[in-house]
Amino acid sequence: METLEQFISYVSNNGGYIWVQFYRHFLMAAYGVLFAAIISIPLGILISKYGKLSSWVLAFGSIIQTIPALGAMAVIMIVLGLGANTAIFTLMLYSILPITQNTYVGMKNVDKNIIEAGYASGMTKFQLLRMVELPLAISVIMAGLRTAIVIGIGVAAIGAFVGAGGLGAIILTGTNATDGTAIILAGAIPTALMAIAADVIMGWIERKLQPVKSSKTRTT
Amino acid sequence: MKKAILMLILLVMLTGCSLPGLSSTTKDTIKIGALGTSESYILAEMLAIMIERETDAGTELVTHLGSSIVQHQGMMRGDLDITSTRYTGTDLSGALGMDPVTDPDEALSIVTREFQDRFNQTWGPTYGFENSYSVAVTEEFAQENNIETISDLEPFADDLRFGVDNAWVNRKGDGYDGFQETYYSFGEIFPMNIGLVYQAAAAGSMDVVLAYSSDGRIKEFDLVVLEDDRRFFPPYDASPVIANETLEKHPEILDILEKLHNKISTEKMQELNYNADVELMNPRKVAEDFLESNNYFMNEGKGGQ
Repeated sequence: METLEQFISYVSNNGGYIWVQFYRHFLMAAYGVLFAAIISIPLGILISKYGKLSSWVLAFGSIIQTIPALGAMAVIMIVLGLGANTAIFTLMLYSILPITQNTYVGMKNVDKNIIEAGYASGMTKFQLLRMVELPLAISVIMAGLRTAIVIGIGVAAIGAFVGAGGLGAIILTGTNATDGTAIILAGAIPTALMAIAADVIMGWIERKLQPVKSSKTRTT
Repeated sequence: MKKAILMLILLVMLTGCSLPGLSSTTKDTIKIGALGTSESYILAEMLAIMIERETDAGTELVTHLGSSIVQHQGMMRGDLDITSTRYTGTDLSGALGMDPVTDPDEALSIVTREFQDRFNQTWGPTYGFENSYSVAVTEEFAQENNIETISDLEPFADDLRFGVDNAWVNRKGDGYDGFQETYYSFGEIFPMNIGLVYQAAAAGSMDVVLAYSSDGRIKEFDLVVLEDDRRFFPPYDASPVIANETLEKHPEILDILEKLHNKISTEKMQELNYNADVELMNPRKVAEDFLESNNYFMNEGKGGQ
């Protein structure tokens, strides 16, 4: 109970500070996933076209995924230095696998007959990609982005160790205080809420982008 | 689909301008590094407030850095322009790789000279407090037995339980081995996490503990720091360190540091740390309150202690 009181008083006294860190935390996660998407979506499309590459690329992504985030961040810090950029780069690395994998799976799952139909009606490769394959794969790709942003919000919390700030900094402050549970909660709860909110919103977008399964696409 | 592409382009354009909202990498931003301790954080906030008041530069804090070495490397790489707290003893053996010196003035003059020569950085004027290892007992025990110095404790030492920070026991030079050579041995020694040490002493599980002298919890748990009468522990006087390049651009910073010189005694720092560590106040608020109560040191020579 005492913790709850402390928590409430800490949050009400430092609302502005928590909000600033929340915003910063979100931006770090969003930038990381955005950059990862810029790399990974084209990469996923590429490996779906050239099957031989796929096992290599996905294996490489999995290897990155197994490195502990804190260790990776420490190594990246040597190159990029202190600050938000290191955190963003690290969580970008962790976002590459889910996005690439989902893009790959999404592209592979597009019905071959539809592609053939498009091809037969004289579409160029690019038109086929833009007008047939991507729209059909987009919801799966979005699912990848959704996973990535949830992972990213978690990784960004560790960014505090390399001076990136964010909600992780509040958690660390709490661990230094004598009875800092209240402060730890003030950092941890918003982090969790952010992850849940991101998941829900991305899930909603994902459903919105679901290709319509009407007779139009099932003519064969 | 078109909308999605448009959104993506928009976002890419947004990120084109050096990650808005995160790193304000304009030229006039002074980056201040701080350790993970409340003390370091509070002082970084103080510097930030003072710099923003008295210069036209903005500031950005890089907090929760792991160690003095990380701070030092950040300075060397140019990631940081100022580090808020550097301790003579730590950097003498850490960044400079030299042997510990027990005389505080000598240690200070060595780091000042060496940082200037080797790293092109200015070791700022001391804040006035030190955060050294120190031996502490409960107030009750000290009064009962009339103990003021570590030597006073010697007659009781065999029956005492000594609670210490894990990291201290095996330290070369100023660790327990060295301590035994200069002073005496305690009956039993219990290495533990530093966070537990103070509570252990307060709860009576430990009779004597190794504390950090500026820690606010010394006050919270009614402990008394004993005088290091044989000068065993190296000095850890706290100062900021500034890159000379930054000083050239903003010479006013030196005045600010002069204003803070000797304004924060160890007792004052304990109090400020107490506010952050025990009262759970935000370091920024602690720093603001302190500066405000001293009128931002507008009239030099007054205020503080």
